[in-house]
Amino acid sequence: MKKLFSIAAITLACTTLLFTSCKKDKSEEPTPSTEQNLTMHLHSNVGTHAANYDSTFINSAGQRFTIEDYRMYISNIVLIKSDGSELPITGKIFLTNPEIDEYELGMVPVGNYKGFRFIVGLDSTINHSDPSTYPSSNPLSVQTPSIHWSWNSGYIFWKVEGKVDTTVAQTGPVNVDYLYHIGMDEFKRTIDFTTDAFSVNSGQDQVIHLNFDLAAALINVDMTSELMTHTMDDMMLATKIANNWQSAFEVE
Amino acid sequence: MQFDRMKKYVFLFFIALMTFACKKEKATDPIIDPGNEFIILDVPVGFPYPNIPSDNKPTLNRIALGEKLFFDPILSRDSSISCGSCHLPGLKFTDGVALSLGISGRHAMRNAMTILNVAYQPYSFWDGGVPNLEQQVLAPIENPNEMDFDVNLAVERLRNNKDYVADFQKSYSLEPSVYTLTRAIACYERTLFTGKSKYDRFIYEGDSFALNTSEKNGMIMFFNEEADCFHCHVDYNFTDFSFQNNGLYSVYPDSGRARITGNASDVGKFKVPSLRNVELTAPYMHDGSIATLEEVVEHYNSGGQPHPNKSNVVRPKNLSPQQKQDLVNFLKALTDE
Repeated sequence: MKKLFSIAAITLACTTLLFTSCKKDKSEEPTPSTEQNLTMHLHSNVGTHAANYDSTFINSAGQRFTIEDYRMYISNIVLIKSDGSELPITGKIFLTNPEIDEYELGMVPVGNYKGFRFIVGLDSTINHSDPSTYPSSNPLSVQTPSIHWSWNSGYIFWKVEGKVDTTVAQTGPVNVDYLYHIGMDEFKRTIDFTTDAFSVNSGQDQVIHLNFDLAAALINVDMTSELMTHTMDDMMLATKIANNWQSAFEVE
Repeated sequence: MQFDRMKKYVFLFFIALMTFACKKEKATDPIIDPGNEFIILDVPVGFPYPNIPSDNKPTLNRIALGEKLFFDPILSRDSSISCGSCHLPGLKFTDGVALSLGISGRHAMRNAMTILNVAYQPYSFWDGGVPNLEQQVLAPIENPNEMDFDVNLAVERLRNNKDYVADFQKSYSLEPSVYTLTRAIACYERTLFTGKSKYDRFIYEGDSFALNTSEKNGMIMFFNEEADCFHCHVDYNFTDFSFQNNGLYSVYPDSGRARITGNASDVGKFKVPSLRNVELTAPYMHDGSIATLEEVVEHYNSGGQPHPNKSNVVRPKNLSPQQKQDLVNFLKALTDE
């Protein structure tokens, strides 16, 4: 009986060992008081209306248009700490669209921040990287519809397509294609909110609310005649739009 | 005693089990497929060995898969054309027309270049807009005037095809993806060489009878200031891959290299093409606007149209009819035998 018991004991010990031997070491949870999750909420608007792929919108010149594709790359996000030091959010590149508001920046240290900045577009190295080398879950992989120029290897940083009413009286159908594809290294723009202070408090995840107003991005663009730029073929129009991006963003 | 021994066995059994428990399941011994061994490409005599990306070394399986994809219309929207529709092996991987036909009768923007010796190209296309062969594969698939297809949808087609799934697995140990699709086609294209002409026999094999007198005279002019071709058409591949404005037009409907750089100084500049097999790759120029070799030689003899970006070596040459004929004969000696 005693012997039987000792066999059972060894069996049990070994079995336990067997099942635990493959488990990875559990690391300690990060102390919740030192880091919190930070998320960017990007609200895509046209004037006071939320941008979407279903409605007809009116730009600042009173021209009516629809949106069929509307995406942009946001990268190189940097938080400015209260002592002026910078905290780059490495490895986070977002391809935004009006149907998604939330873009997670990840865990950041609790504390006070003076502000933040990011770029619309991609830095040169990433811009000229090979999209086929990214897994399909990565925003830099080949997208459907594509947001990469395969004939002039580089990404489209900011893409808006849809239809517009080109009649002077704006009483016609909204049926003429417009297309704004902005890319190339020199068209990336740093968006600066370095004096928009916020704090990340212990035990509370933080959200930065940002608005992007498409009407503001297209200010001074006559959508009835300036119908198209692939950047290279109309650098003036591309420059005009890219230079509007900073003022199209606002912190809520 | 018996129990003690049993204890020992039970203990040993579990130790053995533990030792194996963490090991990944081993597949049955892989059969070594000679088609997956890296191979050395058969480079023409006198040519350097090309640079090959470390993630896409050639194997027979990869080359075979790339060749199959190259000639399969599965990559075009309506499954009507393949890469091989505009790069015909019989025409030295060109198509004999000024502007290639895309799907639905559309015309490509420029003349289809040969892809022979493409392993040596530092960048693709007439305007050099794409830095390597792998990425080049994406462009004709997406181009609305060529295959007009979404690359992800093309990959989906391949994934729904049992044969292709097996082919990709065999050659790359991966499923069809944008990555493996572009690798396979590029891998095949890097095996397409040309370099076995009369000229090569003359230069690299020391056969002094390979060229006749007219061809030799043409060659001498080609390589001196008289015809001045060699400034751009140099080396084993007869190109320095530079971008040049050759005075084809005073006003260019197609801005060429400037389409990529945006620089006014690049307007009307196009990549210098190889001249190998030039006899068989008519029509000529980026837009296929010159039909014959004789007319090409006459264009350069005349010095072309004035343009601020025009190359200095494109200037009136005043060659005699015999000299022009010698040049044409030399160019024809660059055809593979």
